Amino acid sequence: MKRLLIVDDSKLMRDMVAACLRPLGEVAFEFAGTGLEAIERLSLTGFDLVVLDLNMPDVGGLEVIEFVRAQDRSRALPILIVTTRGDDENRTKVLEAGASGFLAKPFAPQQILEEARRLLPSKRAEA
Amino acid sequence: MIRTLHVTFRVGTADYALPAAQVLHLESFVTATHVPGAPPYVAGLVQVRGRVVPVVDLRARFGLPPVERTIDHRVVVVQVGTRVAGLLVDSAREVLQLDETSFEKPPEVIERQSAGFVTAVATVAKRLFLLIDVPRIIGEELTHG
Amino acid sequence: MSERVDLQEFIGAFAVEAEEIVAAANTSLLEIDVAIGQGTVRPRAVRDLFRALHTIKGLAGMIGVEPIVEIAHALETLVRAADGAGGVLDRRAVEVALQGIGAIAERVRAVAERETIDEAPEGLLEAIAEAAARGCAPIAMAPIPPEWHARLSPGERQQLALALQTSDPVWTLSFTPSETNASRGITIASVRARLGAVGEIVKVIPRAIAATAGGQTGVAFDLLIISNATQAVIAEIAATELDGVIAVVAPAAAPGRQITEVMDVTGVGAEPPAPIERDDLPAVGRAVVRVELSRLDELQDQLSLLIVSRFRLEREISSLAELGHDVRRIREVAQIQGRQLRDLRRAILRARMVPVSEVLEPLSLLVRSLARSSQRDVRLELDGCDAELDKAVADRLLPALIHLVRNAVDHAIEPPEHRVASGKPRVGTVRVSCLEVAGNFLEVIVTDDGRGIDRAAIALRAKRPIDDEATLLEVLTSPGFSTREVPTTTSGRGLGMDIVRRITVSDLGGKLSVTTHPGEGTAFTLRVPVTIAVMDVFSFQCGPQSFVVPAVVVEEIFEVLPEMLVVPPNAGTSTISPADRQASKWPRAALALIERRGHAIPIVSLGTLLAIDSGERARKALVIQRNGDRIAFTVDRMIGRQEVVVRAIDDPLVNVPGIAGATDLGDGRPTLVLDLNELGTIARQRGVS
Repeated sequence: MKRLLIVDDSKLMRDMVAACLRPLGEVAFEFAGTGLEAIERLSLTGFDLVVLDLNMPDVGGLEVIEFVRAQDRSRALPILIVTTRGDDENRTKVLEAGASGFLAKPFAPQQILEEARRLLPSKRAEA
Repeated sequence: MIRTLHVTFRVGTADYALPAAQVLHLESFVTATHVPGAPPYVAGLVQVRGRVVPVVDLRARFGLPPVERTIDHRVVVVQVGTRVAGLLVDSAREVLQLDETSFEKPPEVIERQSAGFVTAVATVAKRLFLLIDVPRIIGEELTHG
Repeated sequence: MSERVDLQEFIGAFAVEAEEIVAAANTSLLEIDVAIGQGTVRPRAVRDLFRALHTIKGLAGMIGVEPIVEIAHALETLVRAADGAGGVLDRRAVEVALQGIGAIAERVRAVAERETIDEAPEGLLEAIAEAAARGCAPIAMAPIPPEWHARLSPGERQQLALALQTSDPVWTLSFTPSETNASRGITIASVRARLGAVGEIVKVIPRAIAATAGGQTGVAFDLLIISNATQAVIAEIAATELDGVIAVVAPAAAPGRQITEVMDVTGVGAEPPAPIERDDLPAVGRAVVRVELSRLDELQDQLSLLIVSRFRLEREISSLAELGHDVRRIREVAQIQGRQLRDLRRAILRARMVPVSEVLEPLSLLVRSLARSSQRDVRLELDGCDAELDKAVADRLLPALIHLVRNAVDHAIEPPEHRVASGKPRVGTVRVSCLEVAGNFLEVIVTDDGRGIDRAAIALRAKRPIDDEATLLEVLTSPGFSTREVPTTTSGRGLGMDIVRRITVSDLGGKLSVTTHPGEGTAFTLRVPVTIAVMDVFSFQCGPQSFVVPAVVVEEIFEVLPEMLVVPPNAGTSTISPADRQASKWPRAALALIERRGHAIPIVSLGTLLAIDSGERARKALVIQRNGDRIAFTVDRMIGRQEVVVRAIDDPLVNVPGIAGATDLGDGRPTLVLDLNELGTIARQRGVS
């Protein structure tokens, strides 16, 4: 059972992302509405993948990545950024900060599903 | 013959009457906010038409055991001078014209027993209505002192 | 499992969320517009507006509504520039933003009703782009502590600067999430929500800390907030120590310098900076001092306490009289004092008065926006509004007026062609007029020249006859009725006519009435008091009842567990004997002791003191202090903190010690206001057997 954390301040967006990723199979979704909640949740439990929006009140996605990467135990955590700002400048900045993947809104359901599959460790890799 | 409008209501097995001039309105009763430390016959406070009004539970005031609230229960909102208070009664249905000249003094033993609450008795078509002293019921004596 | 996910099934949800976002955006714009009128800025509102636009752009993109994406994107650019300039949008930019949001709202409605969606109008996009390019004149910013400078965005710096400039209390503190906190429901989300309710959050910054095996995670959150709440309350909300809540003050100004920073502005043609003077004297030449409403509230709270102790004085004098003392001279002094208190109250209330026209300003903006999105031609007239109103009344009244005006534009005013066809002027008129009425009341009348209310149709829908206007009003304002109206894009959900009645009648103690003529129009009359007594209170649950106490008397609130109480000798147990209850005597409530910050404080269960509860479920304690003596009362749980209208209850039937008045917490039932000082005295007396 894979644990996914979906972070976006729009409930609709969270629901849509969950719907897009349901075909992954054995997944449990958790949701957070702000970067703060995300950080708090991540510090209390472990996840297999985080889907993160950049634009949120008080603490945005970028700060969440920076924070999470600064903690040793979370270095390997796959983080997929989804954002409306699809320009290349942003993409570079985000990947440099430590995001594992980058997807611009709007995206098709198939696109995010593929990205998630790419980032989630496959069963075969688990020894 | 002086016929004036009276609001009648029931408490226990007796019917009572009040001059309509003293009555502001009738309200249904759901619940009152209990006021700790108030006399036990005060049911509490209710909010009526934007006003906060203390409610006297007439059953308790008249020494009757309490009953379960029903939808028939009413609060008769009265005004005495500048004071506005509510009287919680078992039911209040009729408004009648009563002939004041036909009012009789209550038998002395009743007058004493009811601690001065009943000031007169009226008979209408074989029914007895007890006229009550509203100021006394809402504790007008508390205002002096 | 099928892998084809179709996001079109989310269209309904999109319409709902988009509508909420549009409403939020309009509210932010309104705030910004009002601020412009006052000569100041609202960086927070600009930030909120930006996020709203950004979110709706993303959602519309996912659902596939291109025109909304285009308009939102253009507006986003405009607002981003404003945010970068420290939160500055001028009137023209606000106007264009309003048009843009109106255009978005139209298309959201079209989505909801499965109609075709119009392309984004070229003219509008151009106007927005032009406003963005023009930029806004930057404004000066007062100095802020250097250590915060680097951690805040330009908009946030401006927010902090403004607060320091107007001497609003600014605090910084840290919240550390932990498993213990989480199990009690204290998370960063709950802390943020609760702090947001008592103030304005400027920034929250996560900080890595060493994780401990004992459940402490590796993160702490540093918060910067503007709040009038006491340090104690803030510390309680954030589950932190009192001395962890640190005041932030403006850096000492260097002599001779007025401006420390000028915001950069993007865009061409920026004018040289002009400092905005916040204490401009109006042209009329009156001596005017700008006073923060919070300071007047404080004055008011102190006055309320004076009034409460006045009641106690009366009772003490009465007790002395009963014992046979000659109280004439003391009574005289008390009466003089009573008169002086009344005069003081009048003076303070006068200081809180605002002209009604100022309160009604947002309505013109609202009507413009509503008219656009519902495709009506309407104008707003304001009449006789140089009357004055208590700010607290005005604040409460505005939502009711907004709803009535919305209703008028949405339901009452007919489409232009319809009006012309029936011989009415093409442009509909909604008028708000004010009339001073004897006895400290103001009548605010919302009139429209629309189609009037169809009494027969309403009677049919309500399934009862409507003989007069009083019954019509009753039906219109009954909760079940309002929610059955079909919500349109601009009506908003939830705020029905029943709330208009609750605000006018229960909350403000006023009256509501309606007159209507089919085909001609409708008039709603709200009669409201010009002044009311408003108090800042804590609300809590004790046994079966909720109560409130003035916030200003509460020194501290903390969590208490039964094992923390120390029962000294001879305290006995608190029991309520049937005989006591019959005679309505207070039971002997036992005083126990509790340790707090190195001192022993007497503590008593409020439930047993008031003889309404055993006090077993009490988990919170409120501490009050007078002349150095502290006492704590335990209650079941805290409900919250709010501003309420307090009515004195001086009827002798309920004139009991410890009760200072009644208020309405919003459930339509009276909630008692307790005088903890008096109860403290009683507790001390009863504690001695």
